[in-house]
Amino acid sequence: MKKILLSFLLAVPVLGFSQSFQVNLQGQKQTAMGGAGAGVALDEASVFFNPGAISFLKQNGVQAGAHAIMLKTAFNASGSNVTEYNKNKIPTPFAAYAVFGSPENRLRFGLGVYTPFGGAMHWQENWTGKYTVTSLDLRAIYIQPTLSLKISDNVGIGGGLVYALGHVDLKKALPYSNNGQQTTAQLKGDSKDFGWNAGIFIKTISGVSIGVTHRSQVTAKVEGGEANFFNAPASVQPSLPSSFDATLPLPATSTVGFGFYPSEKTTIALDVNWVWWHAYKDLTFYYNNNTSTPSARNYHDAATFRVGIQNETTSFLTLRAGAGYALSPVGTGYVTPEVPDADRVLLSAGIGLKPSARFNIDFSFLYENVKARTETNIESGLSGTFKTVAYIPGMALSYKF
Amino acid sequence: MKPTYFYKSAFVLAILGMAACKPTIDSEVKPSKGSADFSRYIAIGNSLTSGFADGGLYLEGQQNSFPLMIANQMKTVGGGDFATPFFPADKANGSGYLKLTALTNNVPTIAPETSNLAVRAQVGGVNFLIRYTGEINNYGVPGIQLLYAQVAGYGRANPYYERLLTDATLDTKYLDFVTAKPFTFFSNWLGNNDVLGYATAGATGAAPTPKATFTALYQQVTDKLTSNGAKGVVATIPDVTKVAYFNTVTLKTLLAAINATPAGASVTTIYIQTGTGAVRAATAADKFTLPLSSDGVMGKPNAALQPYGLDPRNPVESKYVLDPAEIVVVNDYISSYNASIKSIANAKGLAIVDAYALLNEYGAGKWVNGVFVNADFIKGNLFSLDGIHLTPLGYAITANAFINAINSKYGSSIPTVDVTNYRGVKFP
Repeated sequence: MKKILLSFLLAVPVLGFSQSFQVNLQGQKQTAMGGAGAGVALDEASVFFNPGAISFLKQNGVQAGAHAIMLKTAFNASGSNVTEYNKNKIPTPFAAYAVFGSPENRLRFGLGVYTPFGGAMHWQENWTGKYTVTSLDLRAIYIQPTLSLKISDNVGIGGGLVYALGHVDLKKALPYSNNGQQTTAQLKGDSKDFGWNAGIFIKTISGVSIGVTHRSQVTAKVEGGEANFFNAPASVQPSLPSSFDATLPLPATSTVGFGFYPSEKTTIALDVNWVWWHAYKDLTFYYNNNTSTPSARNYHDAATFRVGIQNETTSFLTLRAGAGYALSPVGTGYVTPEVPDADRVLLSAGIGLKPSARFNIDFSFLYENVKARTETNIESGLSGTFKTVAYIPGMALSYKF
Repeated sequence: MKPTYFYKSAFVLAILGMAACKPTIDSEVKPSKGSADFSRYIAIGNSLTSGFADGGLYLEGQQNSFPLMIANQMKTVGGGDFATPFFPADKANGSGYLKLTALTNNVPTIAPETSNLAVRAQVGGVNFLIRYTGEINNYGVPGIQLLYAQVAGYGRANPYYERLLTDATLDTKYLDFVTAKPFTFFSNWLGNNDVLGYATAGATGAAPTPKATFTALYQQVTDKLTSNGAKGVVATIPDVTKVAYFNTVTLKTLLAAINATPAGASVTTIYIQTGTGAVRAATAADKFTLPLSSDGVMGKPNAALQPYGLDPRNPVESKYVLDPAEIVVVNDYISSYNASIKSIANAKGLAIVDAYALLNEYGAGKWVNGVFVNADFIKGNLFSLDGIHLTPLGYAITANAFINAINSKYGSSIPTVDVTNYRGVKFP
C-alpha cells in the first residue's frame, strides 16, 4: 500500500488549494487530502463539500475542528536591499458540522458552521506599503442548515441555505502626522447576508462516485461601518468621514469531484473548483461625507485542482496525503499587499485516529507555497516582489451516533 | 499506544520546524559599487542641493536634502561619511521659513517662522548667518547660479556661501572651494538659478545667463570636476513654468476672490502689464506668481482711487505675471541649457538625471507607494510652501532618480530610499 501511495504522489503533478482571500480549510480529512471532497462521502463536512453526499453517510455525527494559519509573507520594494515581513498573527478558522436523521431514511439533515473566506494580514506600522494597508482582518462565517435526499440508491441531492456573517477591519496610514505621530485610518464593519449551497452525488455502477456542487455568491454588504481616524491634524479633520458603506462579493464556487476506490480501505478524491472571481470588479468605500474611494480589482475566474488519498492502514489509524495547484484570480497590476496573491502549490498530509468506534481525532497539515510575484500596482504605484508561504496545522474531534 | 506518540511527536516537530522558516526573495538588491568609487561623494548645486524648502534653509530641510539621502544609501556600497553644514540645534530654524498655520475651507494661512534663527548680523538688509566650520560634503548654496561658480568675491554677496567661508577665504571662488579636497564622486545640479530668478520675478529681473556663456561655463565646471578622474551625476533644469509658484494663482482664482467681495461682485476682467509694457486684459494663458496673492495688493486703490489690477490705469505689474511671450523665452533658455548639460555630460560619460522630465511626470500626478503626488500647491505633496522647492517627499523622489541614474551608468546597485519615510507639506 505504501508503495502505491508513494507512486501516486510522484505521478501526479503538484495540485492546488486556496485562492486570494478564499479559505479552503473546511474539514480535516479533506484538508489532508489536498482539499478534495466533493466526489466522496467522507464525513459530516459533506455539509460544505457536497450536501448531496450527506444522505450517503453511514453514520450520524458531530465534529468540530480548527486550523492555525501561519502565514509568512515577504516584500522587497523594487530597487531596495531591504526585505520586509508581515507580523506573526495566527488566525484560526474553524468548522463545525452535525448530521442527523436515520441513516436508513432517504432524507437526512445537516448543519454546518464554517469560514470559507477570511484573511489576517498584518504588516509593520511603518512598512513601505503603509499608505496602502497596514492590516486587514477579514472573515465570513457561514451558517448552513441543510437537507439531503437520496432519490435512488445511487443518486443523492442536497441543498442548504447559507446565512453569512461578515466582518472586516482594515487599517492603513495616511500621509499626515500630528505632533510627530503618523495619521492612521481604520475601516471596520459587519455584514449579514444570504446565499446557498447545493450538490448532487452519484455512485456509478463502475464504483466511481461523482459529485457536482455549486456554492452561490454571497454579496457581503457593510452598511454604516465605522470610519475611525487617529492622530489626524486639526485642519484635516473636518474633511474626514465617520462612517462608510461597502460591498464585497464572496464569489460563487462550482466544483466537480470524483471518488475512486482502488481497494476497500483506500479512497482517492479528485476535485476541480471553478471560482467565479470575476464578480470582484472593485472595492469601493462610500463615505458619509459624499466622497468615495473606488479601487479596481478586476479579478478573473480561476480554477483549482486538488487530489488526495486516504488509506485505512489499521482499524485505529488512517493515513492521508494530497496535493493541489491553485491559479490566481488576480491579474497583472492588481496585486495588493492585503492579499498578495499568485499561483500556488499545496502539499498536505494527515492522520486519523479512532480510539473508539464513536470517537475520532483527525490531524492535518497543509503547506502552501505561493509563487514569488513582482508587480507594480496600477493604482497605488507600490512596486516590488511578494513571496508567501503558509504552514497550516489543524485538528478536529468527531463523535458518531 | 506507542505508534500514536511517535506520530504526534513527529507531526509537532514538523510543524515547529517549518513554521520557523521565512520566505526569501531572490530579486532583492545586492548592493555593489559597480565601476564607481563612492568613498568621498560631494554634492554641488544650489538651493535644491542644500535641502532648501518652505522659502528658507533650516535644519529639518538640511536633514532631508537629497544628497544626504543618496549618501546614506551609498554607505552600503563603500560610501564614506557625508557632512552637511547643519545649523546648530539651538538655531535650527536657520534663515527662517514658511509654516502653514491654518487651513480653513481650503484657504491656507501661511506665516513665517521667526524664532531660533541662525542670523548673526544684519547688514544692508542682508541676514548673515552663523558660520559653519568643519567637514563639508553637501556644498549646496541657495541662490547660486552657474554664472557665479567661478566669480571671486561671490562669498561677499551670498550669505549662504559666506557662512561656509572664513574672513580669510571670502574671495575663494565656489568651484575652487568645493574641489579643494580630493573627492571620488560628485553630483552637480547647478544652472536652475540662471533662469529661475528671471522667471519668478515675472521676467523683470536680470536677464537669464546667455546660452553660449552657460555652455562654456558648464564645460569648464565639468572639466574641473572630472579632472582628477572622479565620476559623477548631473541633472537638468526643471520646467520652471510647471512649478506650483506659477500655477496656484490663476485668472480664475483671482476673479473668484474678487467676485466674493461685495464691491467686486461684477468684476469680469483683470488688467495686467505685459513684459513689453503694454496693458491688456489677462487671459487664462497668463501665469501669475504666488506673491501676487501673498502680497495682498489686488484691488487696493492707488492715489487716483483706481483699484489695483481692476482698472487698466492701475494694472497688475509685470513682476507678478509671466505672459505667454515671456513663457516662450523662459522655455527657450531652459531647453538650450538642458541640451548643453546633456551633451557635455554625455561627452564625459557622466550619469544624467532628467529632472525636467522627472518633475513634469510627478507634477502631472502620480501615485507613489499609496501617496498621490502632483504639482498642486500644499495638497500636491511635491512642492513645499514656497511653491518652487520640494518637500522631503519630493526630495526623496529626486534622490531615487539620482540613484537610478548612477546605477544604470556605472553598473552599481545602490539601494533606493523608501519615499514613504518622508513627509509632504506639514498640516496644522
